[in-house]
Amino acid sequence: MPPVERQSLRAVLAVAATAALALGPLALMGVTSAGRQWFWPDLLPQAWSPRAWAALAAPGAGIGGAFVRSAVVASLVSVAAVVIGFPAARALALHRFRGRGPLMLALLLPVLTPPIAAAMGLHTVFLWLGLTDTWMGVAIVHLVPAVPYATLMLAGSFARFDTDLEWQARTLGASPRTVWLRVTLPALAPGIAVAAAFAFVISWSQYLLTLFIGGGQVQTLPLLVVGFVRGGDDAVAAALSLVFIAPTLVIFGSVARFLRSY
Amino acid sequence: MIHRTPWYAAALLATLAACESRAVPPPLAPAALAAAPWTEVERQARGTTVTMAMWAGDEARNRFFRDAVARTVEQQLGLALRIVPVADVADIVNKLLTERTAGARGSIDVLWVNGENFRTARQGDVLWGPFADALPNSRLYADDARATDFGTPTEGYEAPWEAAQFVFAYDTRRVSEPPRTLAALEDWMAHHPGRFTYPAIPDFTGSAFIRHVLFHQPGVGAQRFAGPFDEQVYATGSAGALAWLRRVRPSLWRRGETYPATPADLNRLFANGEVDFTMSYGPGFASERIARGEFPDTTRTFVLDEGTIANYSFLAIPFDAPNPGGAAVLINALLSPQHALDKLVALGGILPIAPDRLSASDRARYLAIPAAAATLSFEVLAAHRIPEADVHYLLQFERDWRREVLQQ
Repeated sequence: MPPVERQSLRAVLAVAATAALALGPLALMGVTSAGRQWFWPDLLPQAWSPRAWAALAAPGAGIGGAFVRSAVVASLVSVAAVVIGFPAARALALHRFRGRGPLMLALLLPVLTPPIAAAMGLHTVFLWLGLTDTWMGVAIVHLVPAVPYATLMLAGSFARFDTDLEWQARTLGASPRTVWLRVTLPALAPGIAVAAAFAFVISWSQYLLTLFIGGGQVQTLPLLVVGFVRGGDDAVAAALSLVFIAPTLVIFGSVARFLRSY
Repeated sequence: MIHRTPWYAAALLATLAACESRAVPPPLAPAALAAAPWTEVERQARGTTVTMAMWAGDEARNRFFRDAVARTVEQQLGLALRIVPVADVADIVNKLLTERTAGARGSIDVLWVNGENFRTARQGDVLWGPFADALPNSRLYADDARATDFGTPTEGYEAPWEAAQFVFAYDTRRVSEPPRTLAALEDWMAHHPGRFTYPAIPDFTGSAFIRHVLFHQPGVGAQRFAGPFDEQVYATGSAGALAWLRRVRPSLWRRGETYPATPADLNRLFANGEVDFTMSYGPGFASERIARGEFPDTTRTFVLDEGTIANYSFLAIPFDAPNPGGAAVLINALLSPQHALDKLVALGGILPIAPDRLSASDRARYLAIPAAAATLSFEVLAAHRIPEADVHYLLQFERDWRREVLQQ
């Protein structure tokens, strides 16, 4: 009996430590956002103030608009990255062909190059295309980092996918559409969910590409967060960071639930 | 056979096609602006939208522009003000440089800029002008404020807007009498090791701090650094200054083995009592942070007896501004005593216009504005004002600091 107890104690401690590591910074941000005169070594602020939250909620602050804009862009990017990455992932995972290695490298290049260099080059291209200063241009440029990640994650799912299942369904009389809906899609659903979540978060957190292609005209949340962090207004930066993190937590929470139920 | 049509490719193309470009308004030549009567310029700008890119890391400031300034220019001039918040103006200058290369249309009408960013913008020829002398209100500003920006001639490509002057802050509960000369500061550090530091170069504020050390070496003085870069002057000042910085380094916070990266970091160290001083280009920064609850109420500011660096930040118009006429009208309004006084009430700081250049009624209003406890008076600041030197001194000294102080 004692060894079991010790084991469960260890498990409880491990869970508690993980929770503290994950929630500690969030709690710190919560206190920072609502505290006044919080100086070391005080455990808590000398006073509390709704200033930062009131500033975010002010009608002209543009937080709501930026939130919706970020969410729309990230949702589009998430869907588009999966749609674009899907066939590429299938080819990369299931076929051995000449130039596969270089192709993988080319796919990863946008992620490997320094962001500022990539952003400046992309800016020139988008200027030619007339896509700058539009939210659609911002969504398209977010695909540049999002597609490689989505593709690699889907390729991982495809690597464990047995294409014979598709042929078996076909020989049993299923139409291509039925095969896709009843065999391929369900088999790859976890990979798609994870890839979509990652693409969403990549788009959600883009700063430099949004600034360059959006030209400051497309105000997303990261642009506002970075402004306040650099400006040194810790309370507002902390409050806005909490707003910024919330959707990410919700998305990864639901993906985790989906994967468990799967 | 599993057949798949590339419908996603079609969707992508349709998306690209949907993003057509907007109409470009007819351009205005800087010469036409200068030639036209100002009332005519204002009349033509009425009803237009002006987009202004400005650093937006301060919530009170954002609110002031979003609400009060936008309302004033709408009511008085019929201008719709759009603010584009920017985290770093250098990003916008880079964007303009790319637009210049690609020959694309622009989106920003007014840019808040100074120093190195202005120099880069001028070198890349991405500003519209000259326009500053055509603005009626620019005459209220001192000639030297209008002429140069960190030694770079403005040539009318930017108009002086906000005054800044370097100040130090301390907490009266911790330090009864702050050191007001460079020598006293060195002495203070020797007696209080680990209680002082400055932001690491290339931070703007840290760079300004070490420039004070350069200017205030015995027998040198800030006046010697006026005018274009002079190797002889630099050599005279820099030897002593680098020696001073190396000498005090062991007495710095964490023995100078590391430095705060930004003024925001230094402010946190100060607020938490890890160091006893912080510093800023904003004369009103301590009052502002007391109001926000970030600094103790007992925080006060001071300047060095030898003087502290003062400079202006400016407003410029990008070369590809969609509405340069409206931009000029907005800038003129932002240069007005009315705006300067409104801002002083709302945000603190110092008046960029010398009080004796104000009209009698504006001066009366100015004198009635209660002084913030932690902000020095215009007179004290003016009496301790030294000019910014040529940007080449700055760049050379930053290089030498890295080599001879940081890496020692």
